[in-house]
Amino acid sequence: MKKKYLNEAFLLLMAVPILLWSLLPIYHIFLFSISSKDSAFSGALWPDLPTLRNFSYIWKQQHFYLYHFWVQIWNSLWIAVAVGALTLAVASCAAFAISRLKVRGGRTVMNLALFTYFIPAAFLAIPMYKAMGNYGLLNNRWSLVLAMVTLASPYAIWVLKQASDKLPWELDEAARIDGATPLQLFRLVYLPLMTPSMVAIGTYALLLAWNEYLYGYLLLSHERTITLAVALGHFTAADDSPWELLMATGLVYALPPAAIYYAFRRYMVSGLTSGAVKS
Amino acid sequence: MSAIALPQTSPLPPAQRRMTSWQVWGLILIAPYVLVFLAFVLYPVGYGLWLARHPESYVKLFNDPIFFRTVVNTIFFILVAVNLKFLLALWLSGFFTHERVWIRWVSVLFLLPWAVPSIPTIFSIRFMFNPEWGVINSVIFRLTGLDGPNWLNDPHIGLSLAMVTHIWKSLPFWTLILISGRLAIPKEQYEAASVDGATVWQKFKYVTWPSIRTLYLSSTILSMIFTLGDFNSVYLLTGGGPADLTHVLATLGIRYIRLDQVDMAMATIVCALPFVLPLVYFMMKSLSKSDTER
Amino acid sequence: MASVSFSDVKKSFGATPVLHGISLDILDGEFMVLVGPSGCGKSTLLRMLAGLEEISAGNIAIDTRVVNDVESKDRDIAMVFQSYALYPHMTVGENMGFSLRLRNDAKDLIAQRVAQTAKILNLGPYLERYPRELSGGQRQRVAMGRAIVRDPKVFLFDEPLSNLDAKLRVAMRAEIKALHQRLKTTTVYVTHDQVEAMTMADRIAVMNEGRIEQLGEPLELYDRPANLFVAQFIGSPAMNVFDGIFRGGAVEALGTRWPSNAKAAEGQKVKYGVRPEHLGISAQGAITAEVVVVEPMGAETELVVKVADASLVVTAHGRSNAKPGDAIKLAPDAASVHLFDAASGLRL
Repeated sequence: MKKKYLNEAFLLLMAVPILLWSLLPIYHIFLFSISSKDSAFSGALWPDLPTLRNFSYIWKQQHFYLYHFWVQIWNSLWIAVAVGALTLAVASCAAFAISRLKVRGGRTVMNLALFTYFIPAAFLAIPMYKAMGNYGLLNNRWSLVLAMVTLASPYAIWVLKQASDKLPWELDEAARIDGATPLQLFRLVYLPLMTPSMVAIGTYALLLAWNEYLYGYLLLSHERTITLAVALGHFTAADDSPWELLMATGLVYALPPAAIYYAFRRYMVSGLTSGAVKS
Repeated sequence: MSAIALPQTSPLPPAQRRMTSWQVWGLILIAPYVLVFLAFVLYPVGYGLWLARHPESYVKLFNDPIFFRTVVNTIFFILVAVNLKFLLALWLSGFFTHERVWIRWVSVLFLLPWAVPSIPTIFSIRFMFNPEWGVINSVIFRLTGLDGPNWLNDPHIGLSLAMVTHIWKSLPFWTLILISGRLAIPKEQYEAASVDGATVWQKFKYVTWPSIRTLYLSSTILSMIFTLGDFNSVYLLTGGGPADLTHVLATLGIRYIRLDQVDMAMATIVCALPFVLPLVYFMMKSLSKSDTER
Repeated sequence: MASVSFSDVKKSFGATPVLHGISLDILDGEFMVLVGPSGCGKSTLLRMLAGLEEISAGNIAIDTRVVNDVESKDRDIAMVFQSYALYPHMTVGENMGFSLRLRNDAKDLIAQRVAQTAKILNLGPYLERYPRELSGGQRQRVAMGRAIVRDPKVFLFDEPLSNLDAKLRVAMRAEIKALHQRLKTTTVYVTHDQVEAMTMADRIAVMNEGRIEQLGEPLELYDRPANLFVAQFIGSPAMNVFDGIFRGGAVEALGTRWPSNAKAAEGQKVKYGVRPEHLGISAQGAITAEVVVVEPMGAETELVVKVADASLVVTAHGRSNAKPGDAIKLAPDAASVHLFDAASGLRL
């Protein structure tokens, strides 16, 4: 009996550093967001006078770096949703073609996609930047959308293909005998059965785009076209920037992913680990 | 009783390889991704390699002391950060497989660093370590009366903190992967080991490790590839400084772009390929093996 | 309702031939069973009829129209799969009406047809349920309902009862047979279970290794098997078969003489076949056997006996007093004995 309590105590003891480690930087963002400028730079662990004034500055765009806050957060949102939707469309069509229609060359395309997935995105960024320049898409929201779709699709196709392979083959045969055309099979049988995986992938692509910094930094430059992530990066250009405003904006920026993660946590965990590295 | 005389039709030649509507639709549906691939992978890569064709860029690159330093940093980063991270992930995955309600909540919070975007969080870490007003040095001062070090201005500490940042961000994901690997082990194996009198360590050695060993190794390789591409951890924390001493291959390219030396940037990437490609090859092989095994 | 005709149909997977020229005519309204061991090609033949496999050579015709190049959906057939293949995300009613919905039929027409079919199969109360909420037998009925709603020319069944437990199988057999008598649609039914074949078929095609061994009515196959394979495949418990030599009007085998009305050439090596129920136990019997196992089945008794070093099965009506170790005498019914050529296996 005593061993059981010792066990529990040990587990609880382990949880404390885990939580501290995970939450400290996030708490620190929160800390700065509700601090005034002086209190933030005093290195306190909790502000003397917690304030929401920073958020008011953000809302009213009352600072040099925040002049275009609303446009920029709109850009982030627009691009993230576009990437999510487009990735879903491209990936579900490709996964269906490879997995159910057994299209000729499907294996090759899958391998090429995987290859793209494994190449670190940071190395693809500069060639992408030059290519987008040649396409005349620089400083156009679509360049970031298309770049992110390119980065998110391979993993999306892989996960969808894995999930699709688990569907019994007889379903397609029964549908064919029932009279289904390829499109009807796709729309009425395949897509409804793939919904859980598609939610996971859509969320994955959306978050990937929302969280992206490097590609946004390279591909977009004008104040009114950049995403919020890139705008946050601009804050560090000067030494006397209002760091508490940066952290407050950062908190706003971090809320949607945190909320989506929390809402979909079960979907994402199962959807992502099912397509994960297999043993 | 038996056969009925039906009109005899002469046997046709074996069905020609016609394009059924199913095959046509297969091609139509895979076309969007193929177009994306051609326009945004094949062309940029090809163009990039073409930009990196001048041997002089490589000569300049190898003569730049920053490059050598960067390569050393990168190797160190990958070997130390990834392995440390996976040992932690292995240990934590064991923690999180205990079935308690409160542990489930801890895991939700534990995954937060992975879920939230890099910019605010890495800046937050950066500010925590600010030598004048960061919380770390404030706490040190309050406890000991001494001034804490200028963390990010020391290249070794700076690089180490970048590794810590990287681990902070990516540990939750890999822990999740190893948790799913552990959950795939049937409970009966542990129960049988208990009955046989195994200790906790023996259970790990004889039940857990053999089952997740392959997952652990392939995840480590994959993580090395991702870590090679981790731009944010270094760039947002130290910016590559001080004096370009904490650059890794992922951030060095950007440095050259900012100096308007596109050919050098591309040459850097080409030089990173010998690190990347063998790892990628290994990953593709192990993935296609597991695919055909099904 | 239609006839089905296979003309010299061949199938190869790559370089491996699987069907070696099958010719078979199925009559309009007939219940034809394709039966045989695993790998004999029966499922492949069925799937070629369904349009799910390509034909390597030969022709398949439905209602005298060659359908080699016709897509499944245009062949006017319906198929019931071994694993039911119900759409998990649709209700029972939606599953059954799916084919009509694909044709863009009017909603009330679909509802009417589904209701009609549900009535025949007693599925009325389940129309709003999902497949995962149903038992195996119910799912099987939904699969059949889906086929019936289409009112096709031919029903195809691919081992539909294999996933059901024994008792359910017996019940479903009767249901399928009753359904056929009611709807009178041409049916092609594939199974590996010869009991299903015997009880349900109008005619049976016994297949083995890509060929039809014999085609005929069930009792014809039972009473006059064309070769050794059919003789041992049809009938449960299986026919007793052992080697012998035909001499002087009877067969010398297992150290004694066995009677036979069937004749062979003098001195010919034969295989002697006699069904368990035709091995009578009688005090006047000429053949001595030692009882090994007694299996009382209630209405009958199965005895495993030994003659020389061969194990034979004897089925006796009613109860038996025999005990393991007893010596009994066998009197085979000479008129019901089958002789096969030892080399070719063909009936003599």
